[in-house]
Amino acid sequence: MFNSIALSRFLQYIDFSKVQQLFIYDPSDQLYFSTSFFLFFFLALLFFYRMFSKSKNLKIYTIIFFSLFFYYKNSGYFFLLLFVSTFINFYFGSWIHKSKSSGIKKLLFVSVLVIDLGSLIYFKYTNFFIQIINGFTSGNIQLLNILLPVGISFYTFKAMSYVIEIFIETMEPTNSLRDFVLYMFFFPNILAGPIDRAVAFLPQIEGDMTPTKEDIGRAVFLIMSGLFKKAVIADYIGLNFVDRVFQVPLRFTGVENLLASYAYTIQIYCDFSGYTDMALGIASLLGFKLMDNFNIPFIATSIADYWRRWHISLSTWLLDYLFKPLQMSFRRMRIYGSALAIFITFLLVGFWHGANWTFVVFGLFHSTYLAVSLLTQKFRKAFWDKLHLSGTKFLKVFQILITFHLVLITAIIFRSDSLTTARNVFHQIFRYFHGAVFFQWITGYTQVFVFILIGYVLHFIPKSVDNKIKNMITASPIYVQALLLALMIIVVVQVESAQLQPVIYFNF
Amino acid sequence: MVSDRLKKIILDELKLDSFEFHDETTANQVPGWDSFNHINVIMAVEKNYNIRFKGIEVLKVKNMGELQKLVDSKLQQN
Repeated sequence: MFNSIALSRFLQYIDFSKVQQLFIYDPSDQLYFSTSFFLFFFLALLFFYRMFSKSKNLKIYTIIFFSLFFYYKNSGYFFLLLFVSTFINFYFGSWIHKSKSSGIKKLLFVSVLVIDLGSLIYFKYTNFFIQIINGFTSGNIQLLNILLPVGISFYTFKAMSYVIEIFIETMEPTNSLRDFVLYMFFFPNILAGPIDRAVAFLPQIEGDMTPTKEDIGRAVFLIMSGLFKKAVIADYIGLNFVDRVFQVPLRFTGVENLLASYAYTIQIYCDFSGYTDMALGIASLLGFKLMDNFNIPFIATSIADYWRRWHISLSTWLLDYLFKPLQMSFRRMRIYGSALAIFITFLLVGFWHGANWTFVVFGLFHSTYLAVSLLTQKFRKAFWDKLHLSGTKFLKVFQILITFHLVLITAIIFRSDSLTTARNVFHQIFRYFHGAVFFQWITGYTQVFVFILIGYVLHFIPKSVDNKIKNMITASPIYVQALLLALMIIVVVQVESAQLQPVIYFNF
Repeated sequence: MVSDRLKKIILDELKLDSFEFHDETTANQVPGWDSFNHINVIMAVEKNYNIRFKGIEVLKVKNMGELQKLVDSKLQQN
């Protein structure tokens, strides 16, 4: 009796309309990894996952169900598009594999590529193209009211990797629609990657999908490091410094613009690699190993090296499925063929990031860097040989610094909302530097400065140290691991001064 | 088994003195065989054997053993 009274009193305090709201799509209240509702969501998932540990089928459906809810919470009714894309790619994959005639195979392959790329282009670029046409013809075509489905670039590329590998016969299609749905819907990587390959993901479903002790230790490490990088470092520097400068660069001196550029470069690294760490950690707790996306990118000694270390799942995707085929078909043009292939690939890297001239110019810069570096490779080697500098530490440090600053230039363009903003940033840096302001800045922005430094220090930590920490966490008892994670969550809550920032890469 | 002739073509193209090739060896394990040089290696092989690969055939090749098989199958066709 007492219990039922207590329960009814308790229930009176709960505002059910608010609870209901939690489960309905609301563009202003999305389900990111670093939100408290996500913690609840994920604990509920782990509870069912554990409860169904004897039945793999139920485990798979649990992830599918939670993934669908996760995607719905973040994109509303666009989950229907995800359904359509999943079914189309699954069936086309199977038809491509089954068809005997190479002509039909090709026709099916081209059709599915047209569907995949067509929907990507429609949702991402229609208005951009209308604006360009209006610009050229001084016309006045109405822009369409198109919303961008979150994560479409990521899941479309995942789907394409499946049909491409089937077409070139480096993998066989899966017979299980359920498994393919899991691959496509898998919530840890659906919004911002990593763009995992079907060929690496699908076989993991064949395994027992149970995390080992090492997986759990690795997950705790990755989630902690991801939370810290994303919710502490990146969000703090972004909100308190970078956003202000890039909003009106002309209001700040050159030195502040330059510092904001250094800050943004580490912000985007911490934001994106932090998000990826969380994705990898969450997947690890479900017994899945996702592809790594970053490998200390700012110690790259050339731009080519940088792209082997930055957003690896995208750069290897483009390398395997676009650059290599282009390079093969242009091979009669020898080195110029490769340069042309680079140019096309990186123009598309720019476009992939979004419909804005800043991204196109970002792509053009990277393609120019790479093409020039390829064409001058022999000359530069001879030059360093002549100076007896080849293979020296000095040259290595010099190359790292040059590469980093070439990347920094593109980061300015990438962050700017228009080419005019980017031009203003460069203008302030080169024409209105006022170096002495640096000391005022340090006193005014001490905390930002410290966070930028911590960001860079974290970035430069060698993988071997990471692994040592991972092993230490793995070796410690589970309650210590839980405590560590709880401590990190408290730190995040303490530092989070304002609203959560969505991951920069959600927009792509 | 990777033939000595194929090994030599690749070593010459990459300007390497020696390297132990196995069937399972992949391009990224060989010093200098990066995405830029890849096309030069493929063209050196085509030229030396006087064969011509199709783009998709090369994309399928995952390791040295498969490259050897591709070369053998091309030689049989000729």
